[in-house]
Amino acid sequence: MDIEIFPHRLLNTDTAERLLNDLDSLEGIRRMVIQGPRLTPVEEGGPEHRTMVLKGEEVTIQVKPGRILMEIDSEEIIEEIREKCEENIPFGYNIHVGRFIRKQKTVSDTLKYGEKLEEISEEMVGLTDQNAQLGDRAKILKRKKEE
Amino acid sequence: MAKYYPGTSKVAQNRSNFQDPEYTLEKLREVSDEDVVNILGHRAPGEEYPSAHPPLEEMDEPDDPIRELVEPLDGAKAGDRVRYIQFTDSMYFAPAHPFVRSRSYVCRFRGADAGTLSGRQILETRERDLEKYSKELLETEFFDPARSGIRGKTVHGHSLRLDEDGMMFDMLRRLMLNKDTGVVEAVKNQIGDELDEPVALGEPLDEETLKNKTTIYRKDGEAYRDDKDAVEICQRIHVLRSQGGFYPE
Repeated sequence: MDIEIFPHRLLNTDTAERLLNDLDSLEGIRRMVIQGPRLTPVEEGGPEHRTMVLKGEEVTIQVKPGRILMEIDSEEIIEEIREKCEENIPFGYNIHVGRFIRKQKTVSDTLKYGEKLEEISEEMVGLTDQNAQLGDRAKILKRKKEE
Repeated sequence: MAKYYPGTSKVAQNRSNFQDPEYTLEKLREVSDEDVVNILGHRAPGEEYPSAHPPLEEMDEPDDPIRELVEPLDGAKAGDRVRYIQFTDSMYFAPAHPFVRSRSYVCRFRGADAGTLSGRQILETRERDLEKYSKELLETEFFDPARSGIRGKTVHGHSLRLDEDGMMFDMLRRLMLNKDTGVVEAVKNQIGDELDEPVALGEPLDEETLKNKTTIYRKDGEAYRDDKDAVEICQRIHVLRSQGGFYPE
């Protein structure tokens, strides 16, 4: 099932980084999409700080985090997510349950990737908009090795 | 005393205050004449006003009783061009909003033309009068540097969520919050051209003050439905409009 975290203000990079790292400590989140308006280029006055460190890996964000879409294993985890949000989003937020990330490959995917479509794993489906290159927008963060 | 807006809520009172020319607007900041000219971007500070026609005194105008009755604006007398200032007001408790601006402008500013759109509001008049009116609009409670924007173009942003620091979204980033001083600075003029020197517009008002000063009914502030008097008048106007439009044979 999917949920959407909808903060009442657009997050800046630091807050988003804190929130995402906190969420990372929870079990049961399969994948995540950060959606929002594109950041203005630096040369046009946009913010210079646009990298986050998630799971020790540096990720450059291209949008101002406006919504965080998540695919989760079960409904029980929502309360834990709410706690994390409560700590990191002081100006209010909503959590909506629904279907926010596409799960199936479509005809558009076939047109875009052709025969290579078979090679794309189910996990990568629906993470970006159709016009973007998947490699530019999606990042796979390795799970921590179990000790 | 004239009644400018129905309703008993704080929002209704604020709306009346803006429209009432007898009401003295609270002055919240100082903006110099030169800075106003810079923000408007129509001419360089100190430059002569470019003219659209010769001064009225030099023009041979036809005899007309109305011309004798109506005193022309200073700008019209001098033959100034017509220029504009345009504002965008955030839905998140901005002090003013387009309709209130228009109604207030026609009540307060002589010879000014107001244009209302959903997300922006424009004031057009002769250049030297415009500068006078703009100064008033920027210095008084009509304006909050975080929730209002001076935007000649690329106005998008009034209905978007605010940034974390409380600033309204602006594609061109004309007004920036200086994190060190806590003061909002205009770094570009209203159409997005860089200014030589940033113009300080003061600190943003806090949430509590904004909720007190706002002219916007909101469910999380003062809801329109709770203002029974305002709703009653609004419904009465709708009914009378419908009945007035109905034309039985």
